[in-house]
Amino acid sequence: MTTNILLGGVGGQGLILMTKTICQAALKDGFDVKSNDVVGLSQRGGMVWGNVRIGEEVFSPNIVPGEGDILLAMEPLEALRWSSALKGNGVVILNAKRFYPTLVQQEKYEYPEEEIEDMKSKIKTIEINAFEEAVKLGKKQVSNVILLGILAQYLDIKVDTWKDTIRNNVPEKSIDMNMDAFDLGYGYKNKT
Amino acid sequence: MYAKTMGIINMIKNIEFAIFKNQIGSDGMEATLEEKRVLTGNEAISRGFYEAGGTVAASYPGSPTVEILEKLKEYDEVYSEFSTNEKVALEVAIGGSFYGARSMASMKHVGLNIASDPLMTFTQTPINGGFVLVSGDDPGLASSQNEQDNRIFGKFANMGILDPSDGQEAKDFTKNALEISEEFSVPMMLRITSRLCHSRSVVEIGERQEIKPKGINEEREKFCMIPPGSRKAQFFMKERLQKLEEYAYDTELNKLEIKEGTDTLVITSGLVYYNLKELNPDVSIWKLGLIYPISEKKAKEITRKFKKVIILEEMQPFIENELTLMGISCEGKKYFDFTGELDIKNIYEGLDKADVLIKEKKEFDNRFVETVPRAPLFCTGCPHRPTFDILKKSKAKIVIGDIGCYSLAALFPFEQSNTIISMGATIGITKGIRKAMSLHGENEPLVSVIGDGTFFHSGLPTFVNLLHKKKDDENITIIVLDNGTTAMTGGQPNASSGLYNERDDMKVGIKSLLDAMGFDRVKEINQYDYKAAAKLFKEEIAYEGLSIIVANGPCALKYNIEESYYYVDPNICINCRACIKTNCPPLRMVKYDGIEKLKSSIDKDMCVGCSVCAQVCPVDAIKSSKNIDREDEKIDN
Repeated sequence: MTTNILLGGVGGQGLILMTKTICQAALKDGFDVKSNDVVGLSQRGGMVWGNVRIGEEVFSPNIVPGEGDILLAMEPLEALRWSSALKGNGVVILNAKRFYPTLVQQEKYEYPEEEIEDMKSKIKTIEINAFEEAVKLGKKQVSNVILLGILAQYLDIKVDTWKDTIRNNVPEKSIDMNMDAFDLGYGYKNKT
Repeated sequence: MYAKTMGIINMIKNIEFAIFKNQIGSDGMEATLEEKRVLTGNEAISRGFYEAGGTVAASYPGSPTVEILEKLKEYDEVYSEFSTNEKVALEVAIGGSFYGARSMASMKHVGLNIASDPLMTFTQTPINGGFVLVSGDDPGLASSQNEQDNRIFGKFANMGILDPSDGQEAKDFTKNALEISEEFSVPMMLRITSRLCHSRSVVEIGERQEIKPKGINEEREKFCMIPPGSRKAQFFMKERLQKLEEYAYDTELNKLEIKEGTDTLVITSGLVYYNLKELNPDVSIWKLGLIYPISEKKAKEITRKFKKVIILEEMQPFIENELTLMGISCEGKKYFDFTGELDIKNIYEGLDKADVLIKEKKEFDNRFVETVPRAPLFCTGCPHRPTFDILKKSKAKIVIGDIGCYSLAALFPFEQSNTIISMGATIGITKGIRKAMSLHGENEPLVSVIGDGTFFHSGLPTFVNLLHKKKDDENITIIVLDNGTTAMTGGQPNASSGLYNERDDMKVGIKSLLDAMGFDRVKEINQYDYKAAAKLFKEEIAYEGLSIIVANGPCALKYNIEESYYYVDPNICINCRACIKTNCPPLRMVKYDGIEKLKSSIDKDMCVGCSVCAQVCPVDAIKSSKNIDREDEKIDN
């Protein structure tokens, strides 16, 4: 059984480090893993996405549209964009912090709030404003680790493995804050 | 046990996370390490070069291959550099190889165009130290100006070509390329596609093999490419490729996977192979690792056993053409797109068209939902933002762009580039347009923009060329955008970076260089000083002659620009949207309680305090939080 994780976000949010961390944790617990992520022009505030596939033996790094198990969405519009690639019983982990694209800023389009609500009513969604929570913990940069904590609830990877992997990928002085961020995510449940 | 493992990890200089099986040897003393890491294709190539005893590596930053050289910087045993451009990078690597050291040049596909001059002649010489050229091709143009298929270039240059499918092969093939290169005295190309460059997979790590350089080869006739040596070289190139083709007959780089009971063979290579495997179709597969030359004898022996032969490859019909030239009946581009990536869905549809059986009938959902697009834009605090805001309001209606972050100015809302072609092309193109206009008595303003990275890459000769047949009444305004870095590819240093920070060693001043060339009207301006820049741009665009503005300002991303945030006072804001038009990400119009019209706002967590929005505001509604001591007086937008 291969677990397919989609990631969607905005260039500059740190999506590549997220896919790297997930891959490293998966390997450490003995899985085969492949990933891909978009790199290049989109780094500058454009839409960015990634795929991580974890299993016994993984062939392609690419997830077939419609076969995603989990969508780790770092921004609501990006959650909506990639939601079609999920299976019927897929899960969205949603960071509620909004980043408004140029066309919304320049008032050519409305931010699609209604469609996002509609998506949330149809697909199981765990929602958190990771950005605000991270600011409370001390640094906006740890918001991704909160999301990784939530992701960890759904994957067969040990908590210690996650923590060791994260520790290896963050500056030494921010390790404690990152561990707190992970715990916050790992223990997080929807407030409803 | 665990703590011990972590201890070993900490000892490794490379911070890549690693798995170790710590096995105690029979004598109880010696421990052998079996290590696996998750690496991108780029990182795997770096590792392969390192393990193979690679000594000299050079590159010019370009997506998708940037990380190859960045990763190599971690190894003290390897000399690596980002050179001024790909031609110089290739020459540095050729030098290493000529001295008998294993060497590598890496570049994006279009980089090979500028490097092709030394390449096409270097490949006529024998190989002293193993040589590999990594070409990062970009099917689908994720971040490129064209989609050229450099396998054709490799063949054109009489090189052998390897095409890896995953990280393990990217690493192994790098070593194989260097070994083959030395054994057959042939320069090798490692062709990799953007998807694999960035894709991560599990790679087994080995140790470095130390190889001492052989020193210069004294057979001068074979290395001085003038007749008669260069004539003899034509025969030499043909012979060594023939030998390589013989090697290709039973090389383990190619793999045949027979599926019983099928009469169809798919021949493929690269990452596409794994996309095909995902579908598990009812076909046998001949997966090529060495894609050029292909053994004709082997190809005929294998294909003879099948009724139908399908070639699955991205972009050009390269393998298909090779086989067709051998007289082998095969089909490929009839079923698969000539452009873009071939993902699982494309392969499924192509095989379906070809009547190849796939047991599991698949329905594909939409890859994504059609919703508001999100195009890339200048970063928060980017020094180029004010420049293009000023240009948009200026009298210059023709702006000739170039390659770099400032290519983004071509997009909405700035729309400030009429053309973008290739690195450093803007100045020559601008001169041509100007001369065409002049001959027809047209003299409206003409603006050309070029970044510092591009200036040093290939812009310099084009500036010298401007001095030829220069006319005093021809209006050209050139803006050199100097942010002290090659920014678009992730902030690599270039020749002016040393003026911006202490880490980088080159301190070539663009203005002093232009002054020395003999340009008499070169002015400098700080891009963040909006009013002064607007005034200068206006004067220079109106000037009937050639003027150059060096517009300075450090890259906000590389140099971590972060000042106190700005905020909007909605009671002062007249909703003119002057700030919004600068397209800075934290800005947008919002509804405030008790105020009827939408007013501007700034997301304070995103703002880096560059002040450009405050400078364009006609009513001073945007203020810095720096000047307010009491928290409760600050307005939170």
